[in-house]
Amino acid sequence: MSGHRVRAITRRLLEGFRRDRRTLALLFVAPIVILSLLGYLIRGSSTAPEVGIANEDSGPIGGMVADSLHQSSRIKTTDITASDGDAKLKDGSIVAYIVLPADFTQQVGQGNIAPEVHLEGSQPGEDAPVLQALQQSMISIAGRGNIHFAPKVDYLYGGPEYDTLDYFGAAFVGLIVFFLVFVITIVSFLNERSQGTLERLMASPLRRGEIVLGYMLGFTVIALVQAVEVLVFALAVLRIQNHGNVFLIFGMEALMVVAAVNLGIFLSMFARSEFQAVQFIPLVIVPQFLLSGILFPVSSEPQALQYVSNVLPLTYAVNGMRDIMVKGADLTWPSLQLDLAVVAAFGILLIAAGTATLRRRLA
Amino acid sequence: MSESFAVDIDGVSKSFGAFKALNGVTVRVRQGEIYGLLGPNGAGKTTLIRLVCGLLEAHAGTVTVLGQRMPNVGVLRHIGYMTQQAALYPAISVEENVRFFAAINGAEEGVKEALELVQLWERRGSVVATLSGGMRQRCSLACALVHRPQLLLLDEPTVGIDPQLRVQFWEYFRRLAAGGTTLIVSSHVMDEADRCQRLGLIQYGRLLAEGTPADIRAQGGSQNLEAAFLALAGRTES
Repeated sequence: MSGHRVRAITRRLLEGFRRDRRTLALLFVAPIVILSLLGYLIRGSSTAPEVGIANEDSGPIGGMVADSLHQSSRIKTTDITASDGDAKLKDGSIVAYIVLPADFTQQVGQGNIAPEVHLEGSQPGEDAPVLQALQQSMISIAGRGNIHFAPKVDYLYGGPEYDTLDYFGAAFVGLIVFFLVFVITIVSFLNERSQGTLERLMASPLRRGEIVLGYMLGFTVIALVQAVEVLVFALAVLRIQNHGNVFLIFGMEALMVVAAVNLGIFLSMFARSEFQAVQFIPLVIVPQFLLSGILFPVSSEPQALQYVSNVLPLTYAVNGMRDIMVKGADLTWPSLQLDLAVVAAFGILLIAAGTATLRRRLA
Repeated sequence: MSESFAVDIDGVSKSFGAFKALNGVTVRVRQGEIYGLLGPNGAGKTTLIRLVCGLLEAHAGTVTVLGQRMPNVGVLRHIGYMTQQAALYPAISVEENVRFFAAINGAEEGVKEALELVQLWERRGSVVATLSGGMRQRCSLACALVHRPQLLLLDEPTVGIDPQLRVQFWEYFRRLAAGGTTLIVSSHVMDEADRCQRLGLIQYGRLLAEGTPADIRAQGGSQNLEAAFLALAGRTES
């Protein structure tokens, strides 16, 4: 192993990047675009669903419930009459309407609270805020008789400010770097093969390990700059919650980069053209994206898929990133030790696999 | 006796699946000699060159280069290999390409000389992707000889370049050989063959004839090398 030769490969890669504006844009602009989009999607002012309120109650309680619904931030309300409701649901001007029937107060007096809720029903996500707003307004009825409903809420992690972006952001910080670096590596290593330079390298005193190591260092340098950029943007601009050590986040990202680079080198052995290599991208990215616990917690998956999730390195990486950023995990946590160890082991396995397969299919 | 030859290919066979690319070929090249490998496309020239630089391993027979049995990583430092297509990194400059190949061979001091030899020193800052085909071939040649190899393997080095440049290339080759470098040049262009000191005619993975251009003419019974080659090739087919 010669440090001089490894450095020559690393330097050549970096020289190539210096002039390749498009690749640089992909590496440094794309993460910002993706994260900004995610941030805006989740935190940008969302429009509350339109809900019609038909208060036909002859007594006072219907009015109290209606007032409470009007004040709710979860929904936007308009007063309607019950007979217009179905037509408005159909034309899409409201997603639900709530009818407080004429005998509502009377029924409450008998201990029977029965508002009618009519939902449009085709958009699962829009039902929840309607029902939540209604539940809150019911609490206001309970408050009528000097009963105060004020649960004391305590968070182990997160806190009242913790939102979906904090949850996804922690995973995305690592993911974006992983996927972009993987794509760049698989394509540039394939170029090495298709433009014939790999044949030249193999006929030179370079050893296989030096080629893999040189590549790894070159891409790692690029990817770590990218990782810093992503991290700074996530923490300073998007203000994603972080309770952990920034260096620990960076360490996890670095391990993911090593795994991504070597996954790219390894898989490029099985592609004969860039077109084939591009086909690996959804094959590698989509299942990992779905199964690594980014969107759905692994524990909520069907048992058969949990087995798959538990062997995907990204599952551990995502879990580790969330433990660090959301829960403030440090190196004394056994779960974080496991996550780091699995990602590191996967990287080492891929280095060995990439080196071993490099000789084959040269011509 | 292998010590006296820079390259000693002895009874080598190589197959790819059912296809016999080389079948019992013996070729010996002396130090400082320009040896031409002639033959049609698919005859086995590139396979033979790949065996010499250790990219392939023979199924039968031995390949000895500079006194070492191939494949042998230690010898590779003394071999320069110019592949058929100008295998270069298109996104970086001429100088960066040559410097890279110099660095992996541990010979960075030779960059300027190599670029001057192929007359690309003035264009050293140009990105390879912007160069003409002929300039790329020149850059590729500079990459192959920047570390002053004792053995230079040139796989169809003059394909796609204009006659003027071809003359220049052969000028370089003669100068290198005079300095003690051994050259193996593959080609399917007959007028190039005349510039070699010795020729080996390869067809269907077999060595049909070997000798100086004059020997080949005599064996083929024609003053025209191309006619002689065709006569020799036809004789084995019938």
